[in-house]
Amino acid sequence: MKSKSLSVLAVASAAGLFLAGCASTEAETTTPAATETTTTTTTEAAGSLLDSVIAAGSVRCGTRDALPGFAVLNDAGEHVGFDSDFCRVIAAAVLGDATAVEMIDLETADRFTALQSGAIDVLVRNTTWTATRDGSEGANFLQPTFYDGQGMMVTSDSGYMKISEMDGAIICVAKGTTTEGNAALESSRLGLDWEIRSFDETDLILEAFLAGQCDGWSSDVSQLTGLRSAYPDGSESLMILPEVFSKEPLAPAVLDGDTAWAQAVNWAILATIQAEEFGITSANVDSIRDTTEDVGILRFLGADVPGSDGAAVLDPNLSLPTDFAYQVVKQVGNYGEIFARHLTPLGLDRGLNSLWNDGGILYAPPYR
Amino acid sequence: MSPQLSTPSKAPFFRDIRTLKWVLQLLALFAVFALLYWLYGNYQENVAKSSIQTDLRFLDNPANFTIPGNDLDQSQPVRDAFVEGFLNTLRVAFIGVVLATILGTLIGIARLSKNFMVRTLGTVYVELVRNLPLLLLLTFMNLAVVLQAFPRIENAWLPLDLFVISNRGIAIPWFIGSPAQLAIGVVSAALIAFVVARVRIRQADKSGKQDRAWLFGIISFLVLVVLIWLLFGYGWELPYVDGRGTTGGLRLDPSFFALVASLVIYTSSHIAEIVRGSILAVSKGQGEAADAIALSGSQKMRLIILPQAFRIAMPALGNQYLNLIKNSSLGATISYFELTQIAQITVGNGSPAVPAFSLTLLVYLAISLVTSLVVNFFNRRLALVER
Repeated sequence: MKSKSLSVLAVASAAGLFLAGCASTEAETTTPAATETTTTTTTEAAGSLLDSVIAAGSVRCGTRDALPGFAVLNDAGEHVGFDSDFCRVIAAAVLGDATAVEMIDLETADRFTALQSGAIDVLVRNTTWTATRDGSEGANFLQPTFYDGQGMMVTSDSGYMKISEMDGAIICVAKGTTTEGNAALESSRLGLDWEIRSFDETDLILEAFLAGQCDGWSSDVSQLTGLRSAYPDGSESLMILPEVFSKEPLAPAVLDGDTAWAQAVNWAILATIQAEEFGITSANVDSIRDTTEDVGILRFLGADVPGSDGAAVLDPNLSLPTDFAYQVVKQVGNYGEIFARHLTPLGLDRGLNSLWNDGGILYAPPYR
Repeated sequence: MSPQLSTPSKAPFFRDIRTLKWVLQLLALFAVFALLYWLYGNYQENVAKSSIQTDLRFLDNPANFTIPGNDLDQSQPVRDAFVEGFLNTLRVAFIGVVLATILGTLIGIARLSKNFMVRTLGTVYVELVRNLPLLLLLTFMNLAVVLQAFPRIENAWLPLDLFVISNRGIAIPWFIGSPAQLAIGVVSAALIAFVVARVRIRQADKSGKQDRAWLFGIISFLVLVVLIWLLFGYGWELPYVDGRGTTGGLRLDPSFFALVASLVIYTSSHIAEIVRGSILAVSKGQGEAADAIALSGSQKMRLIILPQAFRIAMPALGNQYLNLIKNSSLGATISYFELTQIAQITVGNGSPAVPAFSLTLLVYLAISLVTSLVVNFFNRRLALVER
């Protein structure tokens, strides 16, 4: 009898705990008193991440290690790619040293938890900016680094030429991504009755795709292009169907509620775009700074701007060093250089990711 | 007794062992609560700072994903997806427990066989499987067996033209009709088969011959299921390859197969050892008595040894069943849409992590506690009543 009553008690208490949890969490988020009790233990966390990053001397950047073009490990074990370079852009801006980055590899489904828990300072990991993530994940999305869209990759011998021909197909996607929802939406919109399987990592999708378990591999077109370029059977054995069925602005994210840090990261990204617009590259940034008389460029690079009452340096009070843009361009490069370094070799066009005055939508607010 | 030993002076309260025990326990309790309070305070503060939900409102948001082999629409709420995940976990658990018990019992008996070949095979199986990590076994089963060793759908294997086996799943013949009709048919067949078995036992008691109640029961069950089908006009439906998939019949998801197979193989190796130990624990005299009244080998096992062995094995078996149920959460690593996978997907798509995983934890806790209750119930029914 004793063991029975114990079990009953345990079930009852579990249920009670659950109900109490639901009730109390709702009540306590609205009371400011809940935070007062813990202020002593977390005084450091109450300040901006910007201060703790400067104190630590390195930026902890949430990234990945197996997406060609965006972030892969090279033979020396270093992260190479478009996203990895934007991690370095942030470090160059905030700390003046592009190498002061700690790359932290994350699974797709864990990335927001890592951001929320403070395990990383900034998330630069092909992450789509959506309303739900903005609102519910505590993420603060900044200037998108890449405007992408979801597409479909199939084997060249499958005979599929359009997405609408893929009735009843098995579609493989990455778990915990916007890809799942977009594929489900597209399937119901076109009445295609897709079976959508989601996997932890691209390696596992690759295995399933190679074995013929999936008819289509759906993801952002940039990712598919990268994966296709590294496909074991050769890139020509795969094709990416022409249709793109979603908007995927890939943006870096920081934790909500930390304006100083968010502004610092945002302007680091914007500096790469502004530098390209000015025509400043890592190769010519020194000579431009020394020879130009363009006040806008001098301000941007944190150089002395001659005025009526002597020279002055513009400090927009972003809590960044005044020469952050110079450091970003000098150490990493402008947006076009970063794109050309990692994404052009995969066969990706600039497309939407061209400057606003070149047919794209990249547009940095004025630096003044 | 000497008088000076019998009247020791009373120790001061701070050296009293009883007081010290109490104080230490209270301190330990306080430390645990302080730690929990600190963690909870941090959670509250982090959550307040970044406007993360802490309640269960997320269950009403649209799920935004679909589940293979399920009609769940992507616009249905997260709540429904959790229910489907829960049902998938139960499916794996139920089928896994039944198959692991059967396989484990057979191998446990094989390990005690007098036949060298059978005994060695049993030992090799147990020692090989029991010493592997389950996650590795599962990954191997998925990547090596299902993905690579099973044929592609283009050259699917069609044994007897009844099944379609490929790395996109295993399709089996299935009846045409609703699940309710299936349940009615199976339950009524089972009831009639039960009556047949009882009649056999009563006849055997009178005539003194063997009853073979199980044999008669199972045969009449199978015959009745087919008969009921024909009588009510339900038909069978054979699966066939249709383009890149299969049509007709019942299709088992490839990851479902990989998960159930790994769980059954792994758990059965543990159950085999429990069964073997329990058989050995049955008093030797019971077997000798069975020999003395000239029961055959299989009769001795079925009628005398196993019923008593299972009485001994029950609590340990219950533990294995709990392990199997909890281990089914590993299905998330091979894309089987059980509870953990659903929780991971929904958290990746905007549901708050702490409430979503807390809910998942509580569901597993509830499943485990209910399983314990059921096992304990049977244990009390089976336990030796000592007078």
